[in-house]
Amino acid sequence: MNKEIAIDLKNITKAYPGVVANKNVDFQVYKGEIHALVGENGAGKSTLMKILYGIEQPDEGEIFVNGSSEVISKVETAINLGIGMVHQEFTLVPSFTAPENIGLGQEPKNNRGLVDWKGLNNAVMDIAKKYGFEVDPGLKMIDASVGVQQRTEILKTLYRNANILILDEPTAVLTPQETDELFTVIRTLVDEGKTVIFITHKLREVMEIADRVTVMRAGEVQGVSETGNTSITELASQMVGREVFLQVKKDEAQPTEKILDVQDLWVHDARGLLAVKGIDLDIKKGEIVGIAGVEGNGQTELVEALTGLRKASKGKVMYLDEDIASSSPKNIRRKKIAHIPEDRTNTGLNTQLSIWENLIGNSYFRKPLSSRGIFNLKKVGEHANKLREDFDIRAPNVSLKVKSLSGGNQQKVVVARELSEDPSLTIASQPTRGVDIGNIEAIHEQLVQMRDEGGAVLLVSAELDEVMAVADRVGVMYEGQIVKWVNPKEVDQAQMGLYMAGVKD
Amino acid sequence: MDKFSFKDVLVTVAGLFITVFIAWVLITATGNNPSEVAKYLYEGGFKGTRNIANSLYQATPLILTAVATLVSFRVGMFNIGINGSMYVGALYAGWAGYRFTGLGHFSHVTLCIAIGMFVGAAWMLLPALLRVYAGVSEIISTIILNFVAVLFVSYMANGPFRADPIAPATPRILETAELKQIFPNSQFNTGFFIAVFVAILAHFVLNKTTFGYELRSGGDGLVGMYPSRFSSYLGIPSDRSAITGMLISGALGGLAGAIEVLGAVRYFFQELEFNQGFDGILIGILGKLEPIGAIIASLFYGAIKNGGFYVDYKTDVAREIIIVLISILIFFVSAQKIVKGLEKYPIVKKLDSIFSRKKM
Amino acid sequence: MEWIEIFDISLLRSLLRSTAPIAIVGLAAALCSAAGVLNIGLEGKMLNAAFAGVAASYYTESVWAGLAAGVTAGLLTALLFGLLSFTLGADEVLAGLAINIFSLAGTTYLMRTIWGQAGFFSDPRIVGFEPIHFTFLEGSFLEPFLSDFTYSVYLMFFLAVGLHIVYYRTRLGTAIRATGENPEAAEDAGINTVRIKWLVTIFSGALAGISGLFLSLENLTMFTEGMSAGKGYIGLVASSFGNNTPLGTFGASAFFGLGDAIGIRLQGVYELDSRLILMIPYALTVVVLILIGIRQRLKVRPVPIPES
Repeated sequence: MNKEIAIDLKNITKAYPGVVANKNVDFQVYKGEIHALVGENGAGKSTLMKILYGIEQPDEGEIFVNGSSEVISKVETAINLGIGMVHQEFTLVPSFTAPENIGLGQEPKNNRGLVDWKGLNNAVMDIAKKYGFEVDPGLKMIDASVGVQQRTEILKTLYRNANILILDEPTAVLTPQETDELFTVIRTLVDEGKTVIFITHKLREVMEIADRVTVMRAGEVQGVSETGNTSITELASQMVGREVFLQVKKDEAQPTEKILDVQDLWVHDARGLLAVKGIDLDIKKGEIVGIAGVEGNGQTELVEALTGLRKASKGKVMYLDEDIASSSPKNIRRKKIAHIPEDRTNTGLNTQLSIWENLIGNSYFRKPLSSRGIFNLKKVGEHANKLREDFDIRAPNVSLKVKSLSGGNQQKVVVARELSEDPSLTIASQPTRGVDIGNIEAIHEQLVQMRDEGGAVLLVSAELDEVMAVADRVGVMYEGQIVKWVNPKEVDQAQMGLYMAGVKD
Repeated sequence: MDKFSFKDVLVTVAGLFITVFIAWVLITATGNNPSEVAKYLYEGGFKGTRNIANSLYQATPLILTAVATLVSFRVGMFNIGINGSMYVGALYAGWAGYRFTGLGHFSHVTLCIAIGMFVGAAWMLLPALLRVYAGVSEIISTIILNFVAVLFVSYMANGPFRADPIAPATPRILETAELKQIFPNSQFNTGFFIAVFVAILAHFVLNKTTFGYELRSGGDGLVGMYPSRFSSYLGIPSDRSAITGMLISGALGGLAGAIEVLGAVRYFFQELEFNQGFDGILIGILGKLEPIGAIIASLFYGAIKNGGFYVDYKTDVAREIIIVLISILIFFVSAQKIVKGLEKYPIVKKLDSIFSRKKM
Repeated sequence: MEWIEIFDISLLRSLLRSTAPIAIVGLAAALCSAAGVLNIGLEGKMLNAAFAGVAASYYTESVWAGLAAGVTAGLLTALLFGLLSFTLGADEVLAGLAINIFSLAGTTYLMRTIWGQAGFFSDPRIVGFEPIHFTFLEGSFLEPFLSDFTYSVYLMFFLAVGLHIVYYRTRLGTAIRATGENPEAAEDAGINTVRIKWLVTIFSGALAGISGLFLSLENLTMFTEGMSAGKGYIGLVASSFGNNTPLGTFGASAFFGLGDAIGIRLQGVYELDSRLILMIPYALTVVVLILIGIRQRLKVRPVPIPES
């Protein structure tokens, strides 16, 4: 089959200090196809797309767009070449409406040189109609749902006449149903002659939507195939380099007495809206309870309320025989409740402080690390170095600032600290986000070990695979409520998808 | 906060050279002889007991205001109102110096200092509360309070506390309230030892105690670190740390003012002018926000400041040249990209690793 | 005189005169803040311009040379701020603060060294701006409201309206607001955010320069040490109170102007201590800061929990 080539990246190499993000990468996309680019975190797919979109410059290699060689030194150039990108983190101005965001930088002008807002509105509505989008032109993005924000982002690229759309992990924040809607949109786009590059690490989605797929691992291309001629298993083995799915070795849980009992908990978020709406939840010693769900359904506020970072507006949090709702984080920590927070760099760590100063955050006040308020720096050093070795934190010494560590090693600092003081209950929120696969396994093993030693674990994660593999019981959260409790061994992912979309049964 | 590294030293030294060059141009351009200025600068700063004593006297409030600055920066707050604390601390220490009679020397001095520190801390309460409970930038509120302080103390010296019918000034403090001057013809006084002691204490508290750790957990040097999620997450009330840090900062500003009045000026008058609160910010940064660094930078600054007075006296060059030059030096030191840019040279990296010794 | 009598046409005129310098530098601050630049250094820009204006006017005996020199001084100081903050990676607050300290010491140094004057410099050769008299308004009821102000008052109105149009009706305006609110979004739209930050910094430097010039060459023709007296900071507070919008900032500045004007009039009525009068704008600033704080706290109002 002889197809026209829309994008042709040849021999791209890009190195950052200490790491080669792309190594001699060749990447071809045909006109009018849906091309999936898959790989684990850190495989180099984002870097490759940043190079194509003009955010980064390659050290070596050539870029051909529609057959002609191009130097894409800035985003503007990429836009002019008809390339549009929807980032994983949306790039929207919160106080602007959809049309204001879509037209940003290219607003039509009237004959006096002023922005023609009415003309912009009409143009946006025309494009929206053509591709079957629904748009409320007066709605500010700060008040819009995630799905609406994403559609606004796609419209933005279309408004700029993009023919080649790069979608960076577009389904990460969507429910399965919203994902289906997105796929319909993508198919419409391709029918209208657009080309779509779809970045993901979810292989089921690749098989469902893409025509062809390029797999990357450790900065290199592992293979290019048509989805009709490959399988999830084959792609997975190319992606991780060995034939494993996310699996955690563990025995049957042996739950004993109840350690935490949450009764009718209600929590407001920072904007004063109700984020948690009457949750009941209990955890026993010796089990891992998982909370699944698309992000932004109240998980953050639930965890904050349980750990004292946010006031509970109503309800009880019984820990053994004591109500700890709206108790201070200090009191909660004293009861041997550990917390691995979802926000690593601002909450879990102070990156301005050294590794040892971060490691002693929950133990600095006890002997022998300090006595009568004065540190025994020798003991502190021993303690910190032991944790560095036990948790395999890759750093030459513990006096280095945490900000100089990689994301995975930073997370290990958090995990090391939180698990070091022998907690009875560990609340782990997105514990493996941004961590490479080897360390993900290590963190999962540590959580299972906590359980086997009689500890209780609450695991909150947006990664469905993770919750299903690690937890013994799973509650699905949707719009501030737990809509379903399941045994992860007894449901399939499709069923979970429905629960995550709020369908109860 | 970063410890001193070879790159920092390199940038500071290079900045010094460029600053000296700018000074040479500036002095020549305003019709003066640079080498003559340099000579008087050196003599005024370092030559003879009296000049050295005066240099140390100049350094005294600077050590305290620099430590006041770094304490606030390292808890994540940005206190620019230390000058205001210094004014009110000086006024009320002076007031206590004449108001309370019949006390012994030690108890009277202690009382005056305590009152100066208390008032200096109280001056910082409003900006601290506004920041913590209402999110109002402490940068702006403390700056504005500096202006209020100047007018307030001037009003008080001219009104309620005025003693002299001719000159707007408070009465002279009693002898029991005086910090002793040690050398003849110099305002150097025992306050210097208080300042050095306080700086060393600050070093100890910040780096070696759990209290200091709790204070720093929410900050450590970057602008706008407060409010830190990290400390509240650990169970350390970051609000309390931020407020405490601001109050300590204000108290140290008040102490600087108190020492000026008790040790050197001996009464408070309307035209009494302080700039050490602002200089302290520059010195705190030069000293890398470490108390020991602040002592060293203050001694350096005190010497050239005193040298600057001598230059002002001997030539047509005004003493403000010193502040101009220090702020130019700060331009270099604060330019992070120059420091980072040096990292790409292997030789710098190597020297850097030699200079930064392994601690733990 | 009864206290109510202070509310008359001359209070309005006094209000406009007091508002102008704060509003002009406030609009400069608003422009910077809207683009995400916290420009503490406006104070130093005003001061340098006030000095340069007096110096040029003194040596050339031309107010226009003074204007050119003042604006140039504002621009150069802005250039220094931009260079430190955007090119050399210094913290914006530190850079601004260092510039203010530098400018206060630098102008004092130059005044003392060049003219041998301490405190203030005044000379008959310094030419200032004259009020503009509109002959066509003579006898009209509008004359007391509109005529015989100096340039700053007219400029203030022009800027407030002009910047409002720029903010909401031009590509540049949306680019500025997008840069301040979400720089990634602006970059993604092909807007060079660093260029936008440079642009507002340079333009606000010119505005701060003009505002500083009016201090030294308008009602008074002299330079005094530190004569900007915190107006740059008050401008920042005004812009913050006005949500960084042009009309909001103008309104907030007028509030400061009103306080100032009333203070001046009260002084005539009650013979208050001049220091207390001088304290009014700063005290008002503190009041406004508290109001900003209250507003921020009131923004969050928890929705009620439904009865089960």
